[in-house]
Amino acid sequence: MSRTGASVRRYQTGLGVFWRVLRANPLSLVGFLLVATICILALVVLLAPHLIVPYGPQQETGAYNRGPSWQHLFGTDGNSFDIYSNAMLALPLDLGIGVSLAGVSMLVGGSLGLVAGFYNRPGSLQSAVSVTILRVTDVFLAFPSLILALAITRVVGLGVLPVMFAIAVTWWPYYTRLVRGEVLALKHLPYVTAARAAGVSEGRILRRHILRNLLEPLVVYFTLDVGTVLVTYSTIGYIGVASKYPGPQPEWGAMLAYYQEFGSITTNPWLVAFPGLAIFITVLAFSLLGDGLRDILDPRTRRAFVRSTAHEPPAEATPSESGAGEGALPAVPLPEAPPIVDAQSGVDARGKGAVG
Amino acid sequence: MTEPVVRLEHLSITYTVGAGVFQAVSDVSLEVVPGRVVGIVGETGCGKSTLAQAIPRLLPEPPASIGSGKILFRGTDLVQVPKRQLPMVRGTGIGMIFQEPLNSLNPAYRVYDQIAESIQIRHWRELGYLKTFQGGEKPFDYSKRPTPSAASVLSKPIVPPTLVEQTEGRQLRSRADFRREVLEYLRLVRINDPETILDRYPHELSGGMRQRIMIAMALSAKPSLLIADEPTSALDVTIQAQVLTLMKDLIDEVHAAILFISHDLGVIAETADEVGVMYAGRIIEYGPVDDVFRHPSHPYTKMLLRAAPRKYKSDGPLSSIPGSVPNLSRPPPGCRFHPRCPLVQPNCRGETPPLVPVGANGTHRSACYYWEKVPAVP
Repeated sequence: MSRTGASVRRYQTGLGVFWRVLRANPLSLVGFLLVATICILALVVLLAPHLIVPYGPQQETGAYNRGPSWQHLFGTDGNSFDIYSNAMLALPLDLGIGVSLAGVSMLVGGSLGLVAGFYNRPGSLQSAVSVTILRVTDVFLAFPSLILALAITRVVGLGVLPVMFAIAVTWWPYYTRLVRGEVLALKHLPYVTAARAAGVSEGRILRRHILRNLLEPLVVYFTLDVGTVLVTYSTIGYIGVASKYPGPQPEWGAMLAYYQEFGSITTNPWLVAFPGLAIFITVLAFSLLGDGLRDILDPRTRRAFVRSTAHEPPAEATPSESGAGEGALPAVPLPEAPPIVDAQSGVDARGKGAVG
Repeated sequence: MTEPVVRLEHLSITYTVGAGVFQAVSDVSLEVVPGRVVGIVGETGCGKSTLAQAIPRLLPEPPASIGSGKILFRGTDLVQVPKRQLPMVRGTGIGMIFQEPLNSLNPAYRVYDQIAESIQIRHWRELGYLKTFQGGEKPFDYSKRPTPSAASVLSKPIVPPTLVEQTEGRQLRSRADFRREVLEYLRLVRINDPETILDRYPHELSGGMRQRIMIAMALSAKPSLLIADEPTSALDVTIQAQVLTLMKDLIDEVHAAILFISHDLGVIAETADEVGVMYAGRIIEYGPVDDVFRHPSHPYTKMLLRAAPRKYKSDGPLSSIPGSVPNLSRPPPGCRFHPRCPLVQPNCRGETPPLVPVGANGTHRSACYYWEKVPAVP
């Protein structure tokens, strides 16, 4: 019984699993599609803006304060600037800010957390380094990050890059804390000791065993964080120290701040609705994607999804027990379906990499 | 007698927790020779696992510290080996099987990856890419060690001998080579349908299967000393029996020195050649399994044996040992068993009794002043 189950079961890797998990989880699929769309749009805006951006950032269209229409999808403002064009032109910048800031913070903060968590044998130089990292982290965490970022912009000046720098300075400690906590939990798990007992060096343990199991919470946090960074930058943009709007390079937060002056949300709602919606959708897309990625990275949920979408009866999901049971009775040969068949079907199903 | 793979000389291990210092292992001496199985048996908390993990220096130091004594692995004192070089000793030198099969496999990797990692490390060592340290002056000669292969006694289909010859001394180039070798070890631990199991994640396997994978991982490094730290304790009884059968078969096949730790007297009686009974960090009786279990010469061993269920309802209720295990931060003076011992005499509280030969041939030793009176213990 278990044999037929085992041979029916597909072992897919790579894109197959990815697709199955996404299909089993519609919200992740939405997130994935949204993120993909956003990225493609950003690329198009960067490489071939004339395809989807009809007007320049400060091009006067002659239509003042018009609501959304086919000509001006998101309407126009009091300067007769096209809001759709501006919102689109802001997309690469905002996306880049979100991903790069969260990425840099993850790399810097994550590495520090890794060091602080893994190399903390009491009473050694390592632990001194680790304690130093943690205390510095505490100092940063104790300060409200938005206010700290604003204070830093006072020193480094205004503009896109200085504000990004200011946010990055305040952003990494969260990753340090997250990674350190995870490492502390992981490094005492039996499988790490087992790897150590197998002669695996400390560096390899860190890379192969700890980092791999860190990945899942880290990626989830990262995707959520892209949204948070974006909101923070937009907040700073809203205050008006990051990007100038109207200007050659629009930015959603700055747009929101500027359009406040033009009428209220009741009279010309499109002015603030569309830049706000852009931020909202981007943040939402990354959050949903994060959920899906967690399911894909964790073999347990991944296989569960694959199983549930493959409509397999649960009774066949117990080959392990039957395997162990048969192992106890060495005299009993297996009558039907010799293992070779399984091997080949397994190899075929796996597709790549598995050379029988 | 062949030279022992590992010899412990007066090993003492302490844990420093807060202000307290716990003497987990005190003055333990034993040796394990290739092809022999030394069992260590004792209650929970008597220092068995500490001893097991101390040999490959896996104990976190601090809180643990090796107070005194030597761990001679092929003549080299591992206590003196710097921490950076310890991974060279582990795996190929000293392999280990742990007691938590459920958590001892990395949940993120397939069975193949887990075993292949261990094979890869050994392979790199064989080729000289990775430094390895096998003690003594001369580097360890792998060719003399037979690859674990099918014993003629076994009816299970195992590795065809040609495969073993092919992989011997040859570079494992492709994934197919690794796959073949991993399969070989999966068959060695009697896993049915290894081609499918290979691609599974640990959470898809039962406890017994995971323990087999653990054993395969440990064996695939070809250790010259294998330490099995309660390999059957976390499994339920039927699986325990299977794994035990497997271990016994493998002990015959793999010509390694084996240190088998268990709290289960029956398991030790089944597997071990010699047994050391531990109480409160000390070995209080040591000798061939038959001698120790048939003619226990320490009141603790005797009472421990009486406390083990033998047959279903044979002779009334089980007896227990009155009192409890001493606090190891302040162990009782003299013989550590004296507060619970029915034979206790004033001098038991004085000096610690040494292990003295009790049998005719001197292999059976007991740390009791009154070992001759032990048969009279109720």
